[in-house]
Amino acid sequence: MEEKRLQAIIEEIWPRLKRKHLYPEIPIPKIGKVHDPLDEGNEKNDGVGLEMKDKQMTINPAFLSTLNGKMAEENLIEALLDHGITHYTFCPWDFQTHLTLYSEAKKVMGDKESAKQAANYFIDVIADTHCVKKRATEIPELHRNLKKGTVEEVIASLYQRIWGIDLGISPSKKGDDEVVRRLARIPYLDRSRWPESIRKFARSLKPLLILEQNEKEARGGKGESNPQGEHDLDHYSYEEIDQGLRDYAQKTMGLSEFKEVVEDFSAELKEMGYGIEGGMGRGRGAPIDADVLFYMKLAENYSIPLRKIPLEEVGTLHPHSHSPWEVGSPFQDIDIWTSFGKIMPGITQIWKKKEGKGRGKIEGAPDCLIIIDSSGSMINPRKNLSYAVLGAACVTNAYLRNDSKVAVYNFSDAPMGGRDVLDYTANREEVYRVLCKYFGGGTALDLEDIMPMIKRKKEMDLFIITDMKITNLETLIGFFGKIQNRITAVHIGENPYAARFEKAVEKRKNINIFTVKKKEDIPHIVLGSIREYFNPIHRGR
Amino acid sequence: MKNACLKKKTPNPLQQEVHDTLNPFEEFKTFQFRKTEIPLDQIVQSTEVIMDQIRLGYERLLEEEAKELVWMVQYNTIIKAYEVAEKYIKEIDYSAEDIEDFCFALESPQKIPYLIPGPAGIYISALCNYAKEEEIVLKLSELKTEINLIGFRLPKGKRLMVEGDTGDFTGIGLEGGELVVEGNTKNWTGAGMRGGKILVKKNIGLHTGEWMMGGEIYVGGRVRGLGNIVEGKVYERDKLVYPGKARYPNLYY
Repeated sequence: MEEKRLQAIIEEIWPRLKRKHLYPEIPIPKIGKVHDPLDEGNEKNDGVGLEMKDKQMTINPAFLSTLNGKMAEENLIEALLDHGITHYTFCPWDFQTHLTLYSEAKKVMGDKESAKQAANYFIDVIADTHCVKKRATEIPELHRNLKKGTVEEVIASLYQRIWGIDLGISPSKKGDDEVVRRLARIPYLDRSRWPESIRKFARSLKPLLILEQNEKEARGGKGESNPQGEHDLDHYSYEEIDQGLRDYAQKTMGLSEFKEVVEDFSAELKEMGYGIEGGMGRGRGAPIDADVLFYMKLAENYSIPLRKIPLEEVGTLHPHSHSPWEVGSPFQDIDIWTSFGKIMPGITQIWKKKEGKGRGKIEGAPDCLIIIDSSGSMINPRKNLSYAVLGAACVTNAYLRNDSKVAVYNFSDAPMGGRDVLDYTANREEVYRVLCKYFGGGTALDLEDIMPMIKRKKEMDLFIITDMKITNLETLIGFFGKIQNRITAVHIGENPYAARFEKAVEKRKNINIFTVKKKEDIPHIVLGSIREYFNPIHRGR
Repeated sequence: MKNACLKKKTPNPLQQEVHDTLNPFEEFKTFQFRKTEIPLDQIVQSTEVIMDQIRLGYERLLEEEAKELVWMVQYNTIIKAYEVAEKYIKEIDYSAEDIEDFCFALESPQKIPYLIPGPAGIYISALCNYAKEEEIVLKLSELKTEINLIGFRLPKGKRLMVEGDTGDFTGIGLEGGELVVEGNTKNWTGAGMRGGKILVKKNIGLHTGEWMMGGEIYVGGRVRGLGNIVEGKVYERDKLVYPGKARYPNLYY
């Protein structure tokens, strides 16, 4: 009954709230029980007022009752919702920003828990300050009535100073006043300066946060709940996390930074379905391989065009079933009717085609064998960003998106056992895992390993990525001279060996050579392009 | 003329349509966008203005004292650079927090294109010496650069506390102030100091207290080497190492 009454209040104020926040795409909030990880034993469950899960805001009626008589219910609900909406519309806005803020805080705080705390406080200060400055809100009234710990008291003093509103906080002790003075100088509403600002914020608040952390540990890990809701990965949908990781990998371009953040959030990511088994990593139990995830997310930012060739098939293809569209998948297969006219991962669907009856030649992508050099002259992909692995990862994506399979031959000194062979597969993680393997040492190919993989297939492409510093380069050149498959050879950087290779195969029309010196060169690789096939004018010459 | 008459009689379908269609933004006509000024705006703006002035002073110091972007640490150059720094700093109304912000701005090439450790240290020392506050805390633990010459000529009645490590020539020419370094300091710490106290929580480098003429240096960790001390006291982990026979100048431990 009580919940119905509160729900009616929400329904009444929601249109006004939406209008106030310029119509954010958020479902109508609900009244219901919320999960409080910091206060699990407490039967009252009144520590948290607002919970946000995948854009759905839930107001805790138990929390509302704690402020009975202090604040009108309608105002209290409005203040909580103003705060919640601003997280979606201003800060953190998306998962990538959240990760960036966290990683910057960690640089100062050093440990995961206090970095998360610092980031949470910072996000709340920004959201509330934005609301107070730009919207008519009851948030100051909410802060006037909230129960406060040491850090909250300092934050409330900060609000008094930067909002110019009396929140009933008495002049604090000398040390805290200095902290407030430092905090008040931060440009919270300047998004472009958030990374620098959060470092300053964490630096100023560090002694208090450490104190709070110690007190929490002394209480057996139980701390004070955040009445305005915790900031965890529950805020984001699987697609938003996926996009966030992709953007973060692209922005940092640093393996170690990405790895650190993924490892810190590994429990939450696993909870969301990120593992390394199956699909895009869905499935629980398996540990997250941050290196593989880094290349996977980074590679999703690049799209390499794959030229198709006529393949002999027994029949033509016809649309059979739907599957989710991913960034980089062919647009022509999109079913606009079931995608609601939107191009957006998670909503858009593509037609899966199935072979029908009949005979004819259709265009398609053959399977591909990726030969990757992981000798000592190459960068270790698990220590630094390796363009070779990134390039091979992009190639993998290009073939898998076209329903082809990929095999990998990862080698250093192959005759001495420095190799790993993966047979043709459509399992992306398996491919990535073999690509990320690093042997070091000398560089020599063993053609006996490769030959069976080529001979088995009537049509297949070959992709080799190396610095060309191969001991038996002449054998490789000779081998490439004999086969007719489309070969895309990519060499990392310029050197005499690469020049020798280029000169030796320059007359072979089935071999295309590309140089990768920087990450921007990767999209310039065109897989399996053969001059004759695309430019019929050259045929007669 | 005939055509004109015809035009008058035919109602314009477009006009009719415009008349019937509702403006989709009609609802926002009454929307009042609340954009109030809050004290934060003023604080941030004035902080920016002060930072610009401090930055300008530093750039002028470089223009005058490090024309070729080269600066040699010599007695004369230090004195002269300090005098130039004093001249510009006296015109600025800043606080201790501005000094810390400037230290971090030094590491951002977008804000300050040239970080020359010597003049930068002299300039920061001058900022500390002329600050309104008697006690200044600089939280520099995350700073990648160790600032040289910090605490130069720190006067009596001032207390400068640095969180993090500092570079060479820390606290040289100290004039009665108290300098506390929460981390390590490098070589020539306290050289030529005349009075006051330097407290280094961790370790200290070579030539400690070279030509020191008064005051005390307390080291929580190890002293790697003492310089030629004229007068004053040096303590290592609460134990007096100068004057005394426990440590000799220019011997490295």
